[in-house]
Amino acid sequence: MQSPTTTEQELLAALANGQRVATEQIYRQNYHIVSGWLVKNGGSASDADDLFQEAMVILYSKAQDEEFRLTCSVGTYLFAISKHLWYKKLHRQSREPVALYDNTATDEDERTGIAYEDDINAHEEREAHYQQLDAALDQLGEPCRSILRAYYHQDKSMQEIAADFGYTNPDNAKTQKYKCLARLRKIFNAM
Amino acid sequence: MSINKVNIWELAESYLAGSLPQQDVAQLNDRLKTDAVFAAEFNDAVNLIRAATDSGKHKRFRSMVQDISMQQKDAPKAEKKARHILLTPQLWRTAAVAATVAIFTSTVTFWSLKPSLNKTESKYNRISREVTGLKAEQARQLARQKQLEQDLADQAKKSLQPTSDVKTTGTGFALTNNGYFVTAYHVIHDENGYGDSVYIQNSNGQYFKASLVTFDADADVAIMKVNKGGFRFGKGELPYSFPQSKAGLGTHIFTLGYPSEDITYSEGYISSRNGYDGNAMQYTLELPAGHGQSGSPLIDNKGNILGLLTAVGSQLEEKTYAVSTKAIVSLLHKLPDEKKVKLPKTAHIARMSREEQIEKMEAYTVSVKVYKKN
Repeated sequence: MQSPTTTEQELLAALANGQRVATEQIYRQNYHIVSGWLVKNGGSASDADDLFQEAMVILYSKAQDEEFRLTCSVGTYLFAISKHLWYKKLHRQSREPVALYDNTATDEDERTGIAYEDDINAHEEREAHYQQLDAALDQLGEPCRSILRAYYHQDKSMQEIAADFGYTNPDNAKTQKYKCLARLRKIFNAM
Repeated sequence: MSINKVNIWELAESYLAGSLPQQDVAQLNDRLKTDAVFAAEFNDAVNLIRAATDSGKHKRFRSMVQDISMQQKDAPKAEKKARHILLTPQLWRTAAVAATVAIFTSTVTFWSLKPSLNKTESKYNRISREVTGLKAEQARQLARQKQLEQDLADQAKKSLQPTSDVKTTGTGFALTNNGYFVTAYHVIHDENGYGDSVYIQNSNGQYFKASLVTFDADADVAIMKVNKGGFRFGKGELPYSFPQSKAGLGTHIFTLGYPSEDITYSEGYISSRNGYDGNAMQYTLELPAGHGQSGSPLIDNKGNILGLLTAVGSQLEEKTYAVSTKAIVSLLHKLPDEKKVKLPKTAHIARMSREEQIEKMEAYTVSVKVYKKN
């Protein structure tokens, strides 16, 4: 028998690996708590979808860290992050100061409102960084753009890429990939 | 195979994958230590590959979550029943193993291969600003990490798991108007390695991405360049100059820096010709300085840059230390010809009032922000 905590840790480890079954389970177990709260606090159903998706992505980033996985309560974290995301959104819309430190969710651990804010800020910075990288990728010519997308975004192997793009062997495709990376760096650094 | 003959991207890739043979790792470490230009380029390659990989993983995760979200909406009634689906034990085991593998591969990355410079002593505190609580967290992680890595090479001990993006901030100032600037090396490279990316923020609040040109870790000087083409710090020529002779005892000096989001002025004097532990490349100062002011310019009344702030003493002796301009100049001399940097020779602010001097300096003094997964 596994204790509930072990299960939660393993669930998180699986989520961190991008495994669908675990991600789906975490989604299902927590979505309704968040959407229920949100509707009571002036949000719509589609707000809830967006918000919760964002919270899941933040959880995914955080779950890459083993220390976090050992100490985190998934439900508490997702709920608190969602609340903070929502407060932040309201704050941005209204430009009025909003109390961001909601302590109701922090009883179980020592995380403060500030720590959630930090996670959200880190997430936004990361997203901005990725967006910049995407923009650089968009400026790359072909076949570079497609090769790098296939390798990094679609997680294809060099064998598959060699076959798809008509290279005689994976090594040739690799050489091309390195050239593409060099071009990407030039564009990215100039942004 | 000699690492010097391998494509730098291939090198960075196999390095990140942890598939580089041990002797190559040793060779690479040697070269990273001795060849600053190569180190900067390699670091850049590692960061780009890592960002592309992470960004791809995030994309796949995000689209999976979107898919799950759609699926849940299509089958709202199944929700209650589906609630208690658990993974089979077998699947769990694979998950756990996969997770362990992930931990191993992701820890044998860049941080682990850069030996710590470990220069910081308890009496000598580098004054870059870090997010509170980071140190304690690092210590905890380090302990955990060591256990995980006992079969790995000794160098791997220093490595850390990515948690979240942590910011170190310091100050930098322009060397040329077209984007070259200097900051303290420890701002961009602490005991855990390089940051993922470095941005400067000018006094107008604008951000610009920058990359490392060269550095001298011992002297604690890093020379960087803003990446954006056509970038200018300010309108005119740089308002200050870089004399190479050492300034005398008692010289009055001031500094501008970013201990917080706002640019801050402080003033003092040179209290000793040499720096920490008699270091002749440094000055000792009576000057209030705090975290975030690492890399701030040390300026005399005539607008001469005498050095850059590097560290403060322990709380008992409130001394501040600065690296002298000489270290910057000699580092610039080592750059290959095509990257030569010409320093301004005249200080336009020599005869101005302090208020005017500060006003002129502001555009050329920037906050340096380092983002990374610690």
